[in-house]
Amino acid sequence: MGKNRGKHYDMLSWAIRLEGRALWSENAVCGATVYGESLRKFGGIEYRRWDPSRSKLGAAMMRTKHDKSQLLPKEGTTILYLGAGHGTSISHLHDHLCGTDNDLGGRIVAVDLAPRCLRDLTHLAKTRPGLVPVLGDARKHAAWGILLPKKVDWLFQDVAQSGQVEIFMGACRRFLNIGGLGLLSLKAASERWTGEGEDALFGKVEEQLVENGFTVDECIKLTGYEDNHVLFVTRRVE
Amino acid sequence: MKTSTGFRRTMWLWYDWQAAAVADNDGLIHDLAVWDGYFDQRAVIERLHCIANGGLIQEALLLQERFPEAKPVIHGDDNLPDADWPLPSKEALDALDKAAHELATQGVARAAGDPDRRLEHVLRASDEMRATFLTMEARLVEWVGLFLPDARFGSDRSSLPKTVGDSDSLATLAVKLEVDLPEDGPSKAEWKSLREWGESIATFRGKLDRLENATRELAESHLPSLSIMLGPLLAARLCVEAHGRMRLARLPAGTVQVLGAEKAFFNHLKTGAAPPKHGHIFMHPWISRSPRWVRGKIARTIAAKASIAAKVDAFEGEPWSQAMVDEIDKKIQQIKAANPKPKRRQR
Repeated sequence: MGKNRGKHYDMLSWAIRLEGRALWSENAVCGATVYGESLRKFGGIEYRRWDPSRSKLGAAMMRTKHDKSQLLPKEGTTILYLGAGHGTSISHLHDHLCGTDNDLGGRIVAVDLAPRCLRDLTHLAKTRPGLVPVLGDARKHAAWGILLPKKVDWLFQDVAQSGQVEIFMGACRRFLNIGGLGLLSLKAASERWTGEGEDALFGKVEEQLVENGFTVDECIKLTGYEDNHVLFVTRRVE
Repeated sequence: MKTSTGFRRTMWLWYDWQAAAVADNDGLIHDLAVWDGYFDQRAVIERLHCIANGGLIQEALLLQERFPEAKPVIHGDDNLPDADWPLPSKEALDALDKAAHELATQGVARAAGDPDRRLEHVLRASDEMRATFLTMEARLVEWVGLFLPDARFGSDRSSLPKTVGDSDSLATLAVKLEVDLPEDGPSKAEWKSLREWGESIATFRGKLDRLENATRELAESHLPSLSIMLGPLLAARLCVEAHGRMRLARLPAGTVQVLGAEKAFFNHLKTGAAPPKHGHIFMHPWISRSPRWVRGKIARTIAAKASIAAKVDAFEGEPWSQAMVDEIDKKIQQIKAANPKPKRRQR
């Protein structure tokens, strides 16, 4: 039986490649790894392995039941990322959004509170134009809100602190276009424990989002990659 | 402002980091002022600072003079009407991104000045070095004991590393320790490793002292009141364990009392076992040198006082003097005097 030698991968965007069960993104800075991920060439182009157990966005892409590419922002746009961490997800988003030397004109505003995280992010931003690191509190919009002259179509929040849902909704009202995609990574352990279990907690958050003018497209459990976390895929409707 | 129709119109003074504009409720722009000095990075950073602190930029102040009735609102506010605001150009945005990067870099550099972070590193380093030092010293004693079974160093362990490090052979060491040399000895390479092991332990001791001095120095300047009350090392430990001086100051005294006894404390919450009476503060002689039955009472007093001292330090009040500590000591002696014997268990 002749093995199918044709296409055995999917391109989720111009830069993101799904090869079997592994995600790869076209490296915007050739030869450099960001967090020790593996590099590999496909058809002469260098890709970086997107490790889903290090990146909640990557984990959500692996776990979603819908089209994986729906979770990505449109290339060349401006996005807001709250709780940027050490820049694992950010680096792959940058590959997709900006490309080498920011050919596509994308812009990532990456906000984090911890100087330790910003240390890594500022180093990352040196080789990756289009990435704007911000040392600040995700809740204090006044301090860094002017970095975004226009509202964005894609917002990601991963802050793992109590009141994360309120922070998310506040940020969406201020920075997300109507119809824009808002991704909220929710850590169960950061919310007040009501004793009713995680599912009840996640259900409550979903209700809260719907009440406040969001539609919840999907609630992706990240179990296996990141325990006790879910990622809400929401759209702002009002 | 009255218009010809007699209605009072709301005017908005919109501003961001590079421009300001005045518009009415319909989004009609009456006046605007745009800054074009964005090629000067330092000026951009200054403006970002100004806005982060809730201030108005020059252009906004200028327009405020012209339209005193206009309400100044920062870009992005929900109340603002839709209008063709003078948003930054592509070049201005690039300059902004560079300035934001520089601002973040400065912020990261400033973290080095944070005594909480410095204290954490220096204290954890001395903990780790002490642990390493003790295991290495224990190994040295066993190792030397294997080759020189007659040697006894119960009391005088501290000089052993240096003695081993200074000896050029096992025979010399045996002479120095005044014991007989058995027939079976280590090979040349083995002895060399043993000697170097002793040497490195000897250098560890000095390093450990320096680390603890550094901790003391930092704690005494960062937590003067708590240091004079509990000693700088314990003060440093409480501060690190509470994740910072401000957080320590905000903790209730009951939490300060059991800081460091988390395992016992959560076991208490989970299973209902007896709660811990003290955490790190047990290290202080006020508790550790007191009889068992008053330790809980003393721990409560000390925790309450330590909590006050931490607040004095965090809000930079006048540091405590020795007289204050003497008063606390008096109180503790009173507690001890009032409870000379353990309370009888009720049957």
